[in-house]
Amino acid sequence: MQTGTGHDDRRDVLVVESLVRRFGDLTAVDGVSFRIHAGETYGLLGPNGAGKTTTISMVAGLIAADEGTVTVAGEPMTPRALEPKKHLGLVPQELAIYPDLTGRENLVLFGRLHGLRGAELKARVDEVLDLIGLADRAKDRAKEYSGGMKRRLNIGIGLLNRPTLLILDEPTVGVDPQSRNAILESVEALAGEGMAVLYTTHYMEEAERLCDRIVIIDSGRLRAEGTRDELIRLTGGVDTIRLAGSGDLAGAAEELRAVTGVERVVADRRSATLTLRDAPALVAQVVGVAASRGVTLSDVEITRPDLESVFLHLTGKELRD
Amino acid sequence: MRQLLALTGYDVLQRLRDKSFFIFAIGVPIALMTVFNFVFSATDDIEIKPATVAVSVPAGDEMARVLVAAVRSLDDADEITVSVEEVDEPTAREYVDEGEVGLALLVPEGFGSAARSGEAVTVEALRGDAAGLETDIVLAVVDGVLDQMAAGAVTAQAGLAEGIAPAELRALVERATQGGTPYGIVAGEASDEQLDSGPALVAGQTGLFMMFTVSFGVSGLLVERQMGTLARLRSMPVPRWMLVLSKALVSLVLGVVATAVLLTVGGFLFDADFGSLPAVAALVLCACTAGTSVMFLIVRLVRTAELAGVATSIVALVLGIAGGAFFPISSAGSLTWLLDLNPVAAMLRGLGITAGGGGLADIGVPVAIMLGFALVMVVASRLVPDRGALA
Repeated sequence: MQTGTGHDDRRDVLVVESLVRRFGDLTAVDGVSFRIHAGETYGLLGPNGAGKTTTISMVAGLIAADEGTVTVAGEPMTPRALEPKKHLGLVPQELAIYPDLTGRENLVLFGRLHGLRGAELKARVDEVLDLIGLADRAKDRAKEYSGGMKRRLNIGIGLLNRPTLLILDEPTVGVDPQSRNAILESVEALAGEGMAVLYTTHYMEEAERLCDRIVIIDSGRLRAEGTRDELIRLTGGVDTIRLAGSGDLAGAAEELRAVTGVERVVADRRSATLTLRDAPALVAQVVGVAASRGVTLSDVEITRPDLESVFLHLTGKELRD
Repeated sequence: MRQLLALTGYDVLQRLRDKSFFIFAIGVPIALMTVFNFVFSATDDIEIKPATVAVSVPAGDEMARVLVAAVRSLDDADEITVSVEEVDEPTAREYVDEGEVGLALLVPEGFGSAARSGEAVTVEALRGDAAGLETDIVLAVVDGVLDQMAAGAVTAQAGLAEGIAPAELRALVERATQGGTPYGIVAGEASDEQLDSGPALVAGQTGLFMMFTVSFGVSGLLVERQMGTLARLRSMPVPRWMLVLSKALVSLVLGVVATAVLLTVGGFLFDADFGSLPAVAALVLCACTAGTSVMFLIVRLVRTAELAGVATSIVALVLGIAGGAFFPISSAGSLTWLLDLNPVAAMLRGLGITAGGGGLADIGVPVAIMLGFALVMVVASRLVPDRGALA
């Protein structure tokens, strides 16, 4: 696995070491290790079937690992362990709510299971209802909620016990863009409160927006770990500018190649593709050179490396649904 | 304990809200019982009409007069009205042919002397188109009187052969013809564990649907697995056994409520009284415990709500039908004891005892069978590898 340098020395909330889980002949998770510290949002990025949910199931104590260990808040996690689960909040990919209970009743039930009661329970339920924006619909049954409201309730239940570690398993799957944005804003706010968040997704833009560090997982194995920039540097960190227009772009190639920072130019009469570092800083100069050679540009496209590029670079596959 | 109460309480609340409990545990069985009530009440309304019997008797035959007097005496009973018309033989036949009487009794010439001497003699009974149940009653009485006469004749012949004194012989003959017997039977308080047809149907249907009701627990656990709430519950500081136990408690609570409602409503529909309330309550509790115990086994064997539904339906139908949910099952052979260990059958036997006047002290055997069944199921569930909902 390739790693960046983003991990610091703050207290580790979750320590995952050499996890292995097999289902018959299939090794769904193969030697996965990572650590998350308090206040950090850690992204587990990979395509469907990469092993994200199996990893999370072991971290949350839903299934046992065949090999390796999971430690949550210093306590070893197993399916029968109770102590580490007191520090855990799980938001499953499915809507894990009771449709025939009201929003408030859902929260009260799960709050009681976390040991909350009396005034403390009521106060925390009110707090969470405010946080997820369902205070005015608290008395409605969950089955009467919109999809986005159900998603928010699903997340709210995971927050009831003020978890040290919050696990969000693809929380935006099947959600409309407006609700999706609201969920992402909520996650950003939670990280700001000092909660460690383990966030799984196969949406590259969510991982880029939310996560302090990202681990890329494929076929049950970790491929790379680090901050977004650290991961992108693994690809070589090269941008591209693509020019299209009328005039002699091929004739301008030599002058474009002479621009400081441009590493490579491939051109014909109608288009040219430049490989360079820091495209936004150089694009004006590049356009100016083309214009000085009498080229009338109809299109300028800048492409910067993203996590998709990283995934492609590391696995030879595209990160898709 | 607070966690267990929370899980159980909110689960019961959901069952009540989603109406599945009312539909499947209350509505369907009551509807079925109502239909049965219509069907079986029609056969229960047996009408006994007034009977007119034409009798042809030889003149001066004292024994024949005794027979006619016996038929006339039926009119003294409250349940039946009998009028006797003494006519000659052709007229008696004509009455039967024309439907004016339901029964004609033709006593032959020489009937009395034949009866006294123990010789064979036949009284011809002609049933007409108008014959009904009342005709059968009259014929049964005539049959009984003829048997008594035959017994008297045999006694007299035997006495004469033995040379018994006439006075003593007369006493013997009278005793024989009156049908007296030195043996007797007195009905006890406790019943023979058999319910009448109506109450048996109520109890049987209740037992059958009790088995379906208690399956709510196992299906609930598997539905939660599919919904994702089970994963969430298992990520919480809640012991695994508590998740299963809470579902068992839900089954037990719903089973007891449904069974109590069905016995009450069924009792009202079929005019059935199951007797001692504490004893019936104990039977209901034990039956639901036995039914619920099946859940512990099924929950370790199946992983989907659909499979659980199939498994519980099979168990409910097998135990229900074998237990007498629709009709009494009689058995013989070496496997009879298997039927006796059926909790539904045990509940029916227990209700038979309470309906016959038995109390808590009299239902030890059915209670032991039901609790034993529960114990076996729980132990078996611990021995079976867990491949089910919580695996």
